[in-house]
Amino acid sequence: MRDKTARPADHTDLRGLELALVALPVAALPHVWHQPPWITALVVLAIAARAWLLGTGRPAPSLGVMSVLAVIAGGLTFAQFGTVFGQEAGTALLLVMIAFKLLETRNRRDIVIALFLGYFVVVTTYFFDQSILIAAYSLLATWLLTAALIQVHAGRVIPRPRLARQAGAMLLHALPFMLILFFVFPRVEGPLWGDPQREQTARTGLSGELNPGDIANLLQDETTALRVEFDRQVPPLRAQYWRALVMTDFDGRRWSADENRSVIQPTAADTDNVIRYTATLEPTRARYLPMLDYPSALPEDAELRANYQVLRDRPVTSRIQYSAEAALTTPPGAGEPTLDPQERTRALHLPTSAAPRSRAEVALWRATHGDDDRAIIQAALQRFSAEPYRYTLQPPRLEDDTTDTFLFETQAGYCEHYASAFAVLMRAADIPTRVVTGYQGGAWQARGEYLRLRNADAHAWNEVWLDGEGWIRVDPTAAIAPERIEQGLPGLASDTGEEIPGFLRRGEGLSWLQRARFGMDDWGDFVRFRWESWVLAFDPERQRELFARLGLDSQDWRSVLIALGAGFGSLALIALTWVGLRRPRQRHAPADRVLQQLSRRIARHDRRLARQAHEPVDAWSRRVARARPDLRESLKAFAEAYNRQRFAPLTPEQRREDLRHLRGLLYAVPRGKPPAPRPDPAHA
Amino acid sequence: MRPDSVTGPARSRGRMARLRDDAIRWITRRHAHDGDQAHLGRDRIYILPTRAGYTLFGIILVMLLGSINYSNNMAFLLTFLLVGIGHNAMWYTHRNLLGLQVSTLPVPAVFAGQPLTLPLRLSETAGRAREALVLRIGTHTSAPFPVPAQGTHTAQLELPGLARGVYRLPRQRLDTRYPLGILEVWSWLTLAPEIVVYPAPIDPGHTAGDDGEEAAGAHDRREGDAPDQIRPYRTGDPPGRIVWKAFARSGKLHVREFASGQGDRLWLEWGAMPASDTETRLSMLCHQVLAAHAEGRVFGLRLPDQALEPAQGVVHRDHCLHALARFRSTPVEMNPEPGP
Repeated sequence: MRDKTARPADHTDLRGLELALVALPVAALPHVWHQPPWITALVVLAIAARAWLLGTGRPAPSLGVMSVLAVIAGGLTFAQFGTVFGQEAGTALLLVMIAFKLLETRNRRDIVIALFLGYFVVVTTYFFDQSILIAAYSLLATWLLTAALIQVHAGRVIPRPRLARQAGAMLLHALPFMLILFFVFPRVEGPLWGDPQREQTARTGLSGELNPGDIANLLQDETTALRVEFDRQVPPLRAQYWRALVMTDFDGRRWSADENRSVIQPTAADTDNVIRYTATLEPTRARYLPMLDYPSALPEDAELRANYQVLRDRPVTSRIQYSAEAALTTPPGAGEPTLDPQERTRALHLPTSAAPRSRAEVALWRATHGDDDRAIIQAALQRFSAEPYRYTLQPPRLEDDTTDTFLFETQAGYCEHYASAFAVLMRAADIPTRVVTGYQGGAWQARGEYLRLRNADAHAWNEVWLDGEGWIRVDPTAAIAPERIEQGLPGLASDTGEEIPGFLRRGEGLSWLQRARFGMDDWGDFVRFRWESWVLAFDPERQRELFARLGLDSQDWRSVLIALGAGFGSLALIALTWVGLRRPRQRHAPADRVLQQLSRRIARHDRRLARQAHEPVDAWSRRVARARPDLRESLKAFAEAYNRQRFAPLTPEQRREDLRHLRGLLYAVPRGKPPAPRPDPAHA
Repeated sequence: MRPDSVTGPARSRGRMARLRDDAIRWITRRHAHDGDQAHLGRDRIYILPTRAGYTLFGIILVMLLGSINYSNNMAFLLTFLLVGIGHNAMWYTHRNLLGLQVSTLPVPAVFAGQPLTLPLRLSETAGRAREALVLRIGTHTSAPFPVPAQGTHTAQLELPGLARGVYRLPRQRLDTRYPLGILEVWSWLTLAPEIVVYPAPIDPGHTAGDDGEEAAGAHDRREGDAPDQIRPYRTGDPPGRIVWKAFARSGKLHVREFASGQGDRLWLEWGAMPASDTETRLSMLCHQVLAAHAEGRVFGLRLPDQALEPAQGVVHRDHCLHALARFRSTPVEMNPEPGP
């Protein structure tokens, strides 16, 4: 009995929990792809449990149970990520917290906190994905969260359509604020703490280091890294290796790039064989510029280093464009008989303790193939294609010696694992080798006729030194997963082989299906391109430009204040105008509008005859009739019709009919004054 | 609560409360006497963030810092969207209260110690449905209630039982946190419906040691002195005098009538009550009034400062009860807080 009396009170306070149990999973859904499965399972379980408790009218679990669960979940999170900070671990913890908050929800405050954290969950989605699709989706999630928040505070169950409308209106009304603040709020360059850029580039972008053992989960970042327009000739897809960073130094686990190499002059290529292009690079906050292999002419503010890495004189902090040339068939050091001894030592360096099993394997190859470096390279590549090596974006962690563990135990990884392992094998065989990271593949955009390279197209490969031939590119990932190298144009490359780019430029020779798919892809990227260039690319630099265009200086707080004031001022003006325009329409019945028109019409000839606000219509019509006997009959009829319209109980049909009659009477009152009718040009 | 009866911390709390009360009185001085209706215009609606509001503010701040740190434009967009929603919540919440008309309704009188239900009528004329309004007096809070667009709602506020007397309502507060709960909008009302609390009835017959013949009331004539007459029922006769036994026998309604014209007149006398203190006497008189009314008697009430001529019926009963409630009592502001 006690239970039964306690329950209803509990339930009235938990109004809105139902909606919260829908809104929060919607907000959390995009994280399913980025979080370990147990987090998803935990959240689903907690929400299902709460829904069951709510449905059966049972109370939330006790505080003791909750604390035990919370400790276990916190421990699991720590065990998974080794930390509770940072983007992924932090997000995981947040999701677990919300799940538990929902599970233990006892009162309105708990739901409100969970919903507020729900907004936070939506924001954390953007760590992983910034597509326009996610933008639309998070608008949906925000809408649901807001609706739940309204329901929680409503004190009674609000019909769903009204709730939806109200939450939608709130989002709509907030949009102008969002836009003004987005463009005017002072942007500052760079991170406030930590190095989030590195944290982000470790995902798929290019980092100055390569550490294949450490990243357990490579996230596919679909945002654009680079867009390239070719002047005349589009190189074949196979040849499109965009080198960005060259890593020669290896400490047994980690490869690192060196920005302090000496500057060299690119070897000029014969003009016939050269590819000219203009690239648009998204901000990387690093100095490297991705260059098509092999650079033969550079932009002015960049220089070629001895390891054939192109560095700009300052970091790329906003989107830049540069033009360059490439000679496809002229590798670095081509035609040189030997490698510079110092460089050779560096490119052969292996820590003595590194990769003992690999060294033993290579010794066997040497014994078989003798001095034939090419045969050794083939042996290594064959090993990758023959053994059960897998290409995966979720490779197991590499313990102990990363190379040996990868080559002999896990045998699963992505390009970085293969490039690193291959380089170690080569160095063990005394072949100078280095790792190159950059981009490979990309998608041809028929609409804009440009090549788009996503961050997910980041790639790592090797260059081995062969005397007389120079640094020859070897892509060990191609041995295991050739489809990755070809997948720049999904499903198309296999049909058409090498000749793709030639006719891609015109779209000739494609089946209608392929064309349709291209059309859709193009529209998709067209929208994406706008989204990226208008929204995602907005940064301090662009804000400066925007302010400059308005004659303001974004670095000056007074300018910012002016811009904010102007923005919100005009917003307030629009809002007030809107409110002002709406009010009279509500206040005045149609009959009153006709009355006003009549009063104005009569007052045009004698101001004193205008109806005063306090004057009853009957009194006014009699007053006017005294001054204008000619209007007596019309006014009398008008006053009657007006009173009937305002006060008589009429059906809607009668009302409409009667209103028409009233308007007719308005026009029956002559415009001019009978004794001396004046033409009125304004009302001709 | 008497000032001299409270101890240290309670006294300082009392002082703070009084200071607060003075401040509110000063703020609301333009609306110190609403009388029986109040229009909630812009000049008397106040707004402040709630705890949830500060929490959301903190969350938005963290989101903003995150957006700056990660230079994440979509995070900026969502953060600023929430800023916009939070800002507009001021408007929404304010509009939920703005333009309401609050008017008093007669407060049903109660006996001393009985809980009191205060009804207030809220009228909506702006064409917006209002949600989750709460009426408060002190710590007493109504359930959240809606007001339909272009409609009215009668809000009920339960108040604790009071001692006999006539009371003024202390300052009322109408507030709402709808729709987002991050802001509270409120208005102070000084509506002044009269609250009448009758004495709690005490049966004088059960008072120990004072069971004398005339104790239960001073009748001019005892009912036994003159035998009852029975006459046919006439419209308007009190149901208490119907002779039900006769009705059961004959199927016709008859009423009992006292012998002489003066004979059924009953005077309820202040001086005849077997108690010495005022309140007990009033309570006993209250009981007698109720009993006499239930019996359908014609009765009069004599108090030291006034006399109500004999009469009968509901209106007369209420007159008498009011007279008892008001006896030597000036309207005081009720203290809505639970006792000392």
